[in-house]
Amino acid sequence: MTTAPFIQCRSLTRAYRKGATVITPLRELDLDVPAGDFVALMGPSGSGKTTLLNLIAGIDRPTAGSLIIGGVDLGRLSAARLADWRAASVGYVFQLYNLVPVLTAYENVELPLLLRRMPSRERHRRVALALELTGIADRHDHYPRQLSGGQEQRVAIARAIVADPPLLVADEPTGDLDGESAAAIMSLLVRLNRELGKTLIMVTHDPRSAAHARRTLHLEKGRLVADDRPNAEAAA
Amino acid sequence: MINPRHLPLVFKQVVRHRTRTLLTVGGVAAAMFLFCAVQAMQHAVARATDGRADETTLVVYRENRFCPFTSRLPEHYERRIVAIPHVRSVVPLKIVVNNCRAGLDVITFRGVPEESVESLGLRILEGSLEAWRARGDAALVGRSLAARRGLSVGQSFDAAGVTVTVAGIVDSDAPQDQSVAYVHLPFLQRAARGGGQGIVTQFNVKVDEARHLEAVARAIDAEFRDDQEPTYTSPETAFIARAAHDVVEIVGFTRWLGWACLAAVLGLVANAIVLSVQDRVKEHAILQTLGFRSGLIAALIVLESILLSLLGGAAGAGAAAGVLAWGHFALTVEGVNIAVAADPLAAATGVGLAALLGVAAGLFPAWRASRRPIAQCFRAV
Repeated sequence: MTTAPFIQCRSLTRAYRKGATVITPLRELDLDVPAGDFVALMGPSGSGKTTLLNLIAGIDRPTAGSLIIGGVDLGRLSAARLADWRAASVGYVFQLYNLVPVLTAYENVELPLLLRRMPSRERHRRVALALELTGIADRHDHYPRQLSGGQEQRVAIARAIVADPPLLVADEPTGDLDGESAAAIMSLLVRLNRELGKTLIMVTHDPRSAAHARRTLHLEKGRLVADDRPNAEAAA
Repeated sequence: MINPRHLPLVFKQVVRHRTRTLLTVGGVAAAMFLFCAVQAMQHAVARATDGRADETTLVVYRENRFCPFTSRLPEHYERRIVAIPHVRSVVPLKIVVNNCRAGLDVITFRGVPEESVESLGLRILEGSLEAWRARGDAALVGRSLAARRGLSVGQSFDAAGVTVTVAGIVDSDAPQDQSVAYVHLPFLQRAARGGGQGIVTQFNVKVDEARHLEAVARAIDAEFRDDQEPTYTSPETAFIARAAHDVVEIVGFTRWLGWACLAAVLGLVANAIVLSVQDRVKEHAILQTLGFRSGLIAALIVLESILLSLLGGAAGAGAAAGVLAWGHFALTVEGVNIAVAADPLAAATGVGLAALLGVAAGLFPAWRASRRPIAQCFRAV
């Protein structure tokens, strides 16, 4: 008996129009990712990495093909249903953290939980747990401007995991960090993958970051050109 | 959709750019202050001049005269008016003002016969009727006039060459009585320049039933048609409307000012929200990425707009109510007073309209923000 992959892309294509020109950053991509995998997406600029990540995160829609995640065909969801799916199923970690500047670290992490009906005590418990897990609990009342890049990214990761989504996507999460902070963030992401079983899709230009993944996909001109599984045995 | 737990997000955004918010709220407050003041004036004029089905008071004035200085009727007309069928009572009044033109702080003396004063329906707030009766130069001063001029019982003041002593501060259901000083008729006839014994300015006539008002008015004018001083009789509200015609027209024009104020509020709030939304394109994309529906984002923006508008609206309406209550203003022209009082209805209307304008101002920016594709927002910044 075979289990269906957690992420299933079939002939996945994304094209958009820029003036008279049609640009196709992603062309007929086929991809299966099992639950709990850690995939690094690599490739030169314009290769379609971020486009694929955005499609998987449900913040963009395919022009053609299908994208099924956790049994849900994202292409068939209405905008509102897709938003609900994002709230429940995916946590997004940005390269530039993208915290809301007028909110404290605690309030930023709390944001996804504001969409859920739950007692404020439970909300508080979950936020505290996420901050604790990412090692930033002592800075909970700090505003983003009062945090270093590495600390901001920890808050962003706490925000991504606070609603306990099965899927995490990260767009160059260490791209704006110094070596030490980058290593710490990568080790945190690896822990989330290995200890909490989160499926992790990460765009990166950095081979050292990609080395943490179990699988590295190389894209060029919107097509998958290589699928390396140097750490595949770790996934077993 | 929107939930109380989302409200802190809205508050945070409102206080985010304090200077911008203060300027917007201040602008809205100024516009709503003007709007509420205009509304209060409109309501005051409407109250004073709109005919009522149950109206039973007529004012008998000298025909073709519009100023209390030139309306000079013989006091003995009273006996002939009383004899007209359906007339219940007649009060001869001598009116003297310190300024015949329109103004917000005109002192109006009304000379009434001692025996008629109880029929005016005055409520004594301070002092006593006995004190008024006991003294020839005594005055019962309307509450608004006393407050405006800082008058108290026992104090003397003079205006229009008439010096009186305050015997009581009075209130009444009739707006006219708020800004006048009731004195003894013979005293005013003696004291006023160009007064004259046996001469009054007008007669206030009470009829037994409202349906007889027009017939009695016609009968009074017919009675004196061939006399040396013919009369023009009209319901009290119509008399006020005629006497204060110029003021009523000006106040009517101010309706446009009111509309302009509302347009200003709409523009101010819309501008603030558009700027705010433009600044936060990326943040809205982040919220949508986290799972906020576009409708929720739009609702948060509209709520922010309502909050800005409500803050300004409440401040403006409150300030207008405060100033009007404190100022005790009365639009006075030709001896006719139109009390401009703090109007709770105008204030409530102002606050309600501010909320509606907040909705209107926020709708378009909210719609635009909610329609923008998320990925495009990230590319745009």
